[in-house]
Amino acid sequence: MCEAIGILFGNSRIDGLQGLAEKRPIEALPFGRYRLLDFALSSMVNSGIRTIGLITPYHNRTMLSHIGAGKAWFLERKAGGLFILPETIYGLVGRKEQFFLKDLALNIEYLQRDQAENVVISSCNQVFNINYHEVLDYHEDKNADITLVYKKFDTPNRKNSQTHLIMDEKQRVINFNDYDELENSPLNFINMLIIRRQILLDIINEYQEQEGFDLLDAITIKLKSLKIYGYSFQGYIGIIQSVQDYYQCSMDILDTKIREKLFLGLDRIHTKLLDNPPTCHGEHAKVRNSLIASGCMIEGKVENSVISRGVIIEPEAQVINCIIMSKCWIRAQTILNHVILDKLVEVGEGRVLQGNSENPMVVLKRAKI
Amino acid sequence: MFEQECIAMLLAGGQGSRLGPLTNNIAKPAISFCGNYRIIDFCLSNCANSKINIVGVLTQYKPFLLSSYIGIGSAWDFDYVGGVHILPPHLGSTEGSWYRGTADAVYQNIDFIDFFKPSFVLIISGDHIYQADYNKMIDFHRRNKAQLTISVTEVPWQEASRFGVVTLDVDQRIRDFAEKPAYPNSNLASMGVYIFDWPLLKQALMEDEEDLQSNHDFGKDIIPKLLQQKNRVYAYKFRGYWRDVGIIESYYHANFDYFSSLNYSRMTNQDRRIFSNLEDLPSQYVGSSALIENSLICNGCTVLGSVYHSILGLGVYIGKGVEVRDSIILPHSKINDHSVIRKVVTGENVEIESHSVIGATKNEPLKQEGITVIEDQTVLKEGSKIEAGENVYRVR
Repeated sequence: MCEAIGILFGNSRIDGLQGLAEKRPIEALPFGRYRLLDFALSSMVNSGIRTIGLITPYHNRTMLSHIGAGKAWFLERKAGGLFILPETIYGLVGRKEQFFLKDLALNIEYLQRDQAENVVISSCNQVFNINYHEVLDYHEDKNADITLVYKKFDTPNRKNSQTHLIMDEKQRVINFNDYDELENSPLNFINMLIIRRQILLDIINEYQEQEGFDLLDAITIKLKSLKIYGYSFQGYIGIIQSVQDYYQCSMDILDTKIREKLFLGLDRIHTKLLDNPPTCHGEHAKVRNSLIASGCMIEGKVENSVISRGVIIEPEAQVINCIIMSKCWIRAQTILNHVILDKLVEVGEGRVLQGNSENPMVVLKRAKI
Repeated sequence: MFEQECIAMLLAGGQGSRLGPLTNNIAKPAISFCGNYRIIDFCLSNCANSKINIVGVLTQYKPFLLSSYIGIGSAWDFDYVGGVHILPPHLGSTEGSWYRGTADAVYQNIDFIDFFKPSFVLIISGDHIYQADYNKMIDFHRRNKAQLTISVTEVPWQEASRFGVVTLDVDQRIRDFAEKPAYPNSNLASMGVYIFDWPLLKQALMEDEEDLQSNHDFGKDIIPKLLQQKNRVYAYKFRGYWRDVGIIESYYHANFDYFSSLNYSRMTNQDRRIFSNLEDLPSQYVGSSALIENSLICNGCTVLGSVYHSILGLGVYIGKGVEVRDSIILPHSKINDHSVIRKVVTGENVEIESHSVIGATKNEPLKQEGITVIEDQTVLKEGSKIEAGENVYRVR
């Protein structure tokens, strides 16, 4: 394998999360016992990438307190390690760029200083577990300038902002296509790519002055002159851009097959460890088909739910089809159905909260109900 | 050079043979405890929470797992100035030998202690379950101008003869110390936690080394001798839970004691945590037909069967139709479909194949309260039947 360094874009400005991503970047959104960026970060680390730059947004407190110096991902080191990169203050909230070129231009020194041949770039609002070894091997086999990772979905994907690849029979990318209703099995670009470092530097130099330019815009212009290939990702990917995505993806991981692909292979997803005691199931606890993190006290009924760390569920409370983030306290006789509780929410005795699977009810951080 | 007033020497070399199959391959302090922990986590976390940043860990018996578990101590924030040091027996310029006793182990590491120039040395044992703030004891030691302070706790009278027992004067000064007396005249037991003035301890260790009759043991030799020499020896009364996990029964009960100590406030309060070198495993998954009551379940577990009043360690698998009752399943063990497990302690990575019955009752009086113990890495074939109170060793 040839050497590579990583760049993670931790500053996408997705605005469909009903406030869950208001005070924190979506990349720092809790997902079970993880935060979303753990998946992208762990994938790079597990692939042997030892130098990773993380572009952080302006409201980066939760993100930085989560990753610290990168110890949980073995990135606290003398040679290489984790680099916290700032984003540019250029542009407006709500812009759609995924890999904003001006963000890269601002941190060009990070790219100039390292001698690695390739740069792996990924966004981190997705739930996945990929080993880039194979992608890098493929990239070298094809002698590609750029390799874009795509996922072939069986059913048309309704997400407008997804870019679809059009490839020739040799897997060379000949064009991009936006969402198309008629397309049966679209090849969705899943926001991971490998690019030769020198080519990336050239692109930055050439286009950094362009207004609102994304790396993908530059690649589109270069489709003919550069060798750009697509690599098909076979694993599970959950792309999170809305509350519905978030809810659906959380429910997906209750599926043992998906969980095995994500969590139980050789490459593990790492997260900040908290040294909680194990989870206590009380005398009358009834837990069915649920994922429960450590440090919880479960005395009520939990079904089809994902419970994060340090949650307390008192006797006779019912938590069904819910996502409960860490340190929530659910008092006795409460009934929650299709509800997403952000961190530190307290639900008072006997309350009933009800959403539905299309529109789960969202309760924001530190709310007391 | 970093100097600290008090450094800790942690005795972790004992074999712990009374724990039978559990210590066949690993040192007692490294045995998994209450799912998430290993026994030594309690002492190391006490040191970390008491801001004692220099800890020498004296190892001897089967040290591999223990040493690799402790590593450089980052899990307890010891990767700092000072830090944790694993001290196995070693060669000196003229000779070297195994540690012949607790005092000898410290004697052989006088150089290590001198290097840090401490005023006090805290001696602790790696096989006790308790949470303490050693600073309170150091304050007590200083306030009484003691030369040696022994932490003591009340134990039931009938158990007192298993411990070093002290009798006190009114001012908490120790009048008499008897190691494992047949007829104890006090139920104040030494917890094996001592604070020594370093110059005094050094002197005593050197004298003890010359003594050919000595067992080189703190309880049997060093402390009685210091008392005899009229040194200022005080007892610090520790109020709180303390348990020595020397035998299977006490190991078993200590696990469930810790479990029952967990309550809302303990779960939500983050100070004075017990740190451990955790494996980063995904959340536990509880299946659609599972039933879990009154149990402690760790990360990485998959539970598809029924679990009552039990503790499941990290990454345990409980298959469909399995019934686990009153048991402690250590990390990464696998209990396959339709097996019945009663009052069992399994070692780590044990695999019990389907339709087995472990801990079946019989009419004879039960050994070790009927607790069945299975050595780590054991594979029990399909349909195995093991009677209650047995110790099961791996076939080699």
